[in-house]
Amino acid sequence: MTGALPAPLLEMMRRGVSVNVASRDAALRPSLMRAMASEVSVDGRRITLFLARSQSAQLLQDVASTGRLAVVFSEPATHLSVQVKAMAAQLRPATEADRPVLERYLASMEIELSRVRIPAELTRALLAWRLDDLVAVTFTPHEAYDQTPGAKSGNLLAGAA
Amino acid sequence: MTARPTLRELRACLEGAVPAVLATCDADGVPNVAYLSQVFYVDERHVALSFQFFNKTRRNILANPHATVMLIHPRTGGMYRLHIRYLRTESEGALFERMKAQLAGIASHSGMDGVFKLLGSDVYEVERAEQVPGQPVPLPPRPEGRIAALRTCAEAIARSTTLEDALSAVLATLSDGLAMPHAMVLMHDAAADRLYTVASCGYATSGVGSELKVGQGVIGVAARERTPVRISHLTSAAAYTQAMRGALAPEDEPGTEIPYPGLREPHSQLAVPVLSQGRLLGVLFVEGPHDLQFGYEEEDVLVTIASHLGAAIDLLQVAPDAEPEVPRGTPASTEAGTALQVRHFAANDSLFLGDQYLIKGVAGAILWKLVRDHASTGRTEFSNRELRLDPALRLPEVSDNLEARLLLLQRRLQEHGSDLRIERTGRGRFRLQVARPLKLVEA
Repeated sequence: MTGALPAPLLEMMRRGVSVNVASRDAALRPSLMRAMASEVSVDGRRITLFLARSQSAQLLQDVASTGRLAVVFSEPATHLSVQVKAMAAQLRPATEADRPVLERYLASMEIELSRVRIPAELTRALLAWRLDDLVAVTFTPHEAYDQTPGAKSGNLLAGAA
Repeated sequence: MTARPTLRELRACLEGAVPAVLATCDADGVPNVAYLSQVFYVDERHVALSFQFFNKTRRNILANPHATVMLIHPRTGGMYRLHIRYLRTESEGALFERMKAQLAGIASHSGMDGVFKLLGSDVYEVERAEQVPGQPVPLPPRPEGRIAALRTCAEAIARSTTLEDALSAVLATLSDGLAMPHAMVLMHDAAADRLYTVASCGYATSGVGSELKVGQGVIGVAARERTPVRISHLTSAAAYTQAMRGALAPEDEPGTEIPYPGLREPHSQLAVPVLSQGRLLGVLFVEGPHDLQFGYEEEDVLVTIASHLGAAIDLLQVAPDAEPEVPRGTPASTEAGTALQVRHFAANDSLFLGDQYLIKGVAGAILWKLVRDHASTGRTEFSNRELRLDPALRLPEVSDNLEARLLLLQRRLQEHGSDLRIERTGRGRFRLQVARPLKLVEA
C-alpha cells in the first residue's frame, strides 16, 4: 500500500473497534462475519483478525482459496469508518500467545459499545470466543477507503491509485 | 448444522438499533463490506435495503446481485446472516414511504440528519437465513397479556352500537391493556382529502376537530400510502415533525384552527390506516416519549385493532337509520338566561359560539341546520336519516361519515360548555339540548 492511513483512522483501528470481514467464493458470492478481535501494527501495514471457525466456515474457506479480503473498521459512536482490502492472507490457529490481544480488544469494545448504550453483558455475548475455535487471519492491506457515511464516503485514502 | 430462522423471527434485528453489515462483490471478484442504515422486513421471502448513495455497494449489486447481510439481535446479541439476491428498486409507494419515515428516525438518532436521504428501496429475495453459532443472552420475557387485550378489544368493538362506543373500546385497550397511553383516532374526509381527530387519550387537550392533510407527517403518510408508518427515534426531519404541528394554516382563516394535540417531542410514533374494503376510513395513531417503544409486534397489534375498527365503522354505517321521531309535547331543554350568539360563515360553514370558534365544514353545516330548525319550529329531536336526505348538507351517498361528524360535533360542543349540546337518544337519533336562547347570525 502506498501512503499511510490518516493518523486518526489508524489510531481508531489500533484501539479496537467493530470489525466486519468479507470475502467471496469462486462464483463471486460474498461471505461475511464479524471479527472476534483485531490487532493492527503501528504503521497499519500488518493487520491480524481473529475469526471463530464455528461462525465463519465459508468466509475462512473463501479467504484461504482466493486471498480476497474486505474489512471495515468502525467506531460505533461516531460511525467513523475505514475499509481496507487485501489480495492475500495467512491463516493460523490462535494460540495462548494471542490471549492478551483478544482480551484487550474485548475491553476496548465494552467501552466503545457502552457509548451507544449497549450493556457490557451484551458485548461479551456478542464477542464470546473459545481460543481453540479461533483462527488468526493476517494480511497487509493494499487499499484503504474512507467509509464514514457522507459525501467523502468511498474515497481512496491510501493504496494503489 | 446451523439453525434456519424465519424472517419473521428476525424482525427485532431490523429495527435499526444495531446497524447491519452488507457484503457484496464486483464483477472482478473484489469484495466490499459496508454498514447499512436499514434492513426492512417486506415479507417472509423479501427484505429491502435503503439505497442512499451511489456508492461501491450500489455499483456492485447492479453488476452482481448476490449479497450477504449480518444482523445482530439488539437484546440478545444473537447473530444472523441473510443470503440475498437483488431484485429491483422502488422509489415511491408504500414500502418506500415506510422506509423513508423509519430512516428519518434512524438518521436523527445517529446524528446523520441531512446525510441520510432515501433514494430508493432496494428489494432483495432472501435465499437463505442462518443463525450464526454464538452465545446470545436469553431474551427478556415479553410483556404478557397482549392477546388477551386484543380479545377484549375485539369483543368490545363487536358489542358497540355506536361509533363512540367502538372508539372508546379502542382507546381503552391502547391505554389500559397495551400501555400505549398517547393515542388518537382520525377520520378521513375524502372530499377535502384531510384527516380530522375524532377521539384521543393521553393529551393535555383532546384536539378533537384538529385537522391534518393527507400526506402530512407520519399520520398523513400512513393515510396516503394506506400502510403502517413507524418511527423509533425522535426525528428532526421536518417532514415528520413541524409538518405535524399546526402547519395547516395558510389556506385556513385565522381563529378556525384547533391545535393538533400530539406530544411535543415524540421519540416513537406509529400510524396505522383504518381500512375497509380497501377504502381509507381513517388512521389509528399512537406515540410515546421514549425510543424504540413500538416494534414490529406493536405494529401487528395496532393493525389488528385497526382492522376490527374499520369493519365496525362500515357496519355501523350501513345499519338502518331510525325514522324521525314525532316531536313530543314536552321539550327536552329549558332555555333561560342571556342569548348565546351562533354565528355562521357560509363560505366554509364555520360556526362561532359567542366569540369562540367551534367547528367548520360538514359538521358546521349540520349544527347550523339543527339550530335553524330549532329556532323556526322549536324542534329538539332529530334523526340521521333526515340529515342524509337534506340536500343542503351535501353528504355523499356512500360512506358519508355522518356518525363521525356527529360525534365530532358532540365532543366539540361538550368541550365548549354546557349551553348547547347534542345527546344520542337511540340508533340514528339524537337530541339538541339548548340551555340558553340562541341568537342566530349569518355572517
